Amino acid sequence: MSTPTITEQTIDVWGGRLSITVKIAGAGTPLLYLHPAAGLAWDPFLSHLASRYTVYAPEFPGTSEGNPYAIHTIDTLSDMVLAYEELIRALGLDRPVVVGQSFGGMLAAELAAAFPALPDKLILLDPIGLWSEAAPTANWIATPPEQLPALLFHDPSAPAAQAMLAPSDDIEQQQAAAAAMVWAFGCTGKFAWPIPDRGLRHRLHRITAPTLIVWGRDDRLVSAIYAEQFHNLITDSTVTIIENCGHIPQVEKLDETRETVDKFLL
Amino acid sequence: MKVNLFLQAPYRYLPDDFESKYESVCSIPYSLVTRDGMYSSIRDFMDELMLGARSGFDGVAITEHGQSSYDMIPNPDLISSALAYMTEAEGLDVAIYPMGRSLGKAREPLRAAEEYAMIDVMSGGRLVAGLTVGLSYDANINNGVPPIEVRPRFDENLELVLRAWREQEPFAWNGRYSQYPMVNMWPRPLQENVPTWITGIGNPRTMRMCFDRGFGFNYLSWFGAKLTGKRIFDRMWEQADEAGVARNPYRIGFLQTVAVSETDERAEIEYGRHAEYAFRKGLGSIPIEKLGLPGAIDINGVKALIKDPGDFGLYHRMRTATFHDLVDAGVVVVGSPDTVAEQLLDFCREYGIGNLHAMLGFGSLPRHLVMKNIQLFAEEVLPRLRTLWTETDHQHHWWPRRLGGTPTSYTTATKAGANTR
Repeated sequence: MSTPTITEQTIDVWGGRLSITVKIAGAGTPLLYLHPAAGLAWDPFLSHLASRYTVYAPEFPGTSEGNPYAIHTIDTLSDMVLAYEELIRALGLDRPVVVGQSFGGMLAAELAAAFPALPDKLILLDPIGLWSEAAPTANWIATPPEQLPALLFHDPSAPAAQAMLAPSDDIEQQQAAAAAMVWAFGCTGKFAWPIPDRGLRHRLHRITAPTLIVWGRDDRLVSAIYAEQFHNLITDSTVTIIENCGHIPQVEKLDETRETVDKFLL
Repeated sequence: MKVNLFLQAPYRYLPDDFESKYESVCSIPYSLVTRDGMYSSIRDFMDELMLGARSGFDGVAITEHGQSSYDMIPNPDLISSALAYMTEAEGLDVAIYPMGRSLGKAREPLRAAEEYAMIDVMSGGRLVAGLTVGLSYDANINNGVPPIEVRPRFDENLELVLRAWREQEPFAWNGRYSQYPMVNMWPRPLQENVPTWITGIGNPRTMRMCFDRGFGFNYLSWFGAKLTGKRIFDRMWEQADEAGVARNPYRIGFLQTVAVSETDERAEIEYGRHAEYAFRKGLGSIPIEKLGLPGAIDINGVKALIKDPGDFGLYHRMRTATFHDLVDAGVVVVGSPDTVAEQLLDFCREYGIGNLHAMLGFGSLPRHLVMKNIQLFAEEVLPRLRTLWTETDHQHHWWPRRLGGTPTSYTTATKAGANTR
């Protein structure tokens, strides 16, 4: 899948106090993509979605280059959900499909629970947001970087994982990417630390959009047992478990993920 | 120069292979502890501090670490209050110096303000109030504060503490992190201007705040003074110049681990393995990601550290460091009274340090050797250090009046241009 032309818009929300940068690509009806804790990376899955939709991928406050302190503007997750709703209105998106991965999955679920009429359809890829002592979500923020691949992938040595993990040859780019990831973990961690549970369980019943829950069977960051919990709490939902797959199905098992997502969206 | 006895309360009976199996903080299994081992570690620590108070040190200093095997003081104010009363009852004019009550992790900041006020009253006005942002593992893992919130929480809590100490009328506090309908502390500190110190490990932003606002700044050199001294202290004085304040050595505090014996050879024999225990099983066994979690260090700090981790000196090799590694890096200053005094004087002169916190107990060092170290230092090293800076015009504005200081009030955050909210 070739990468489409990606443009960028910066939108002021929250009474003009918060600027959110949005990457946009593709054509067709709108699709909002909410990225995981490490920040936005445009991957083949997004390029695939852009072949049928206009993909809007906002960068979480604080994670946009040159605007790191935007994260200090908003203190609570509920306010952040309101800010995202403002962003969607400011972009003029009418009933977008909402797709969220991991941290972005939690945000997508919160958004859909707060504003049930907002999404046309909802796709959650290994979302965080619930907590069971029997299967505690791993603390990715406190995990040493060298142990992250094993936490994220069923098989960190496979080509897709390697392609995502491969550092740049340029030492300065490598250092900048490392610093950006650390800061992105810090920014998103504001709403996920110490335990990524902000009471979402009590709000999921409000979601009315048809919802697809996708989970890697071998997710070591947030166990696949949570797929069933999301399913039980969201009325109109279906679950697809992907075998031999870790926390990032759209990277580790792109074909299967694409297939199940396409089937749901058609 | 002011010279304080600084001690941590390490658990002294960890197994030989500890550093290859465990981390020294957060996850350390409590099953390694025995009742007798814990009791003697804490009891001896208190006795050692009291020996320091009776031996002529200017102050007795401790700090705060939670869920930690190398310093078992979750709240330094408990220890300090015991010392405050004991020393007052014995008529000892010694500063009570809790060095690092962490305001970045404090969810009840008013408690911290009240505790310090109480210590000042119990000690008859001898409190030196140390406050710190807080280490990542402690504020975030042990106390559940999101890393990116630690600094703004510290900033806000600091304002509340300072205001609660000096305000004459009750006031309401509507903070981002805490809200109180009425703040009206009983008691308030006896001292009109409580000498206030911020303790850090070299973050330029913290230093600059101290200079802008008139706080003292403590640098705790764990990573080897010879490796980090020049870069940190040069940075410190550059910050002072930028803030437009005098290079007054009394505004700087420096912590150094020291071991004194009759001769250089004997010092190595007596202290060597205990120093290895201290740094291998203590600081060296804190994983780097627990010292600075994502979000806790400002993005510019992260970039600087990735490019140049020099502020961390020997830290990366500490888990396997030999005694000679520690000495070569300046992690420990060790030897006869002459050797030690000369090295400390050189360092304090070169970098303009007016407050030395001598850490004279460490690791598995048994009670009798800590006592010996304290006594020898007090008798033969301390008198030679004390006269440093006396020939200058500098006044000590960061020390209690009762103990000869001339404390001045600090600037408020607003006046200093700080943004707390």
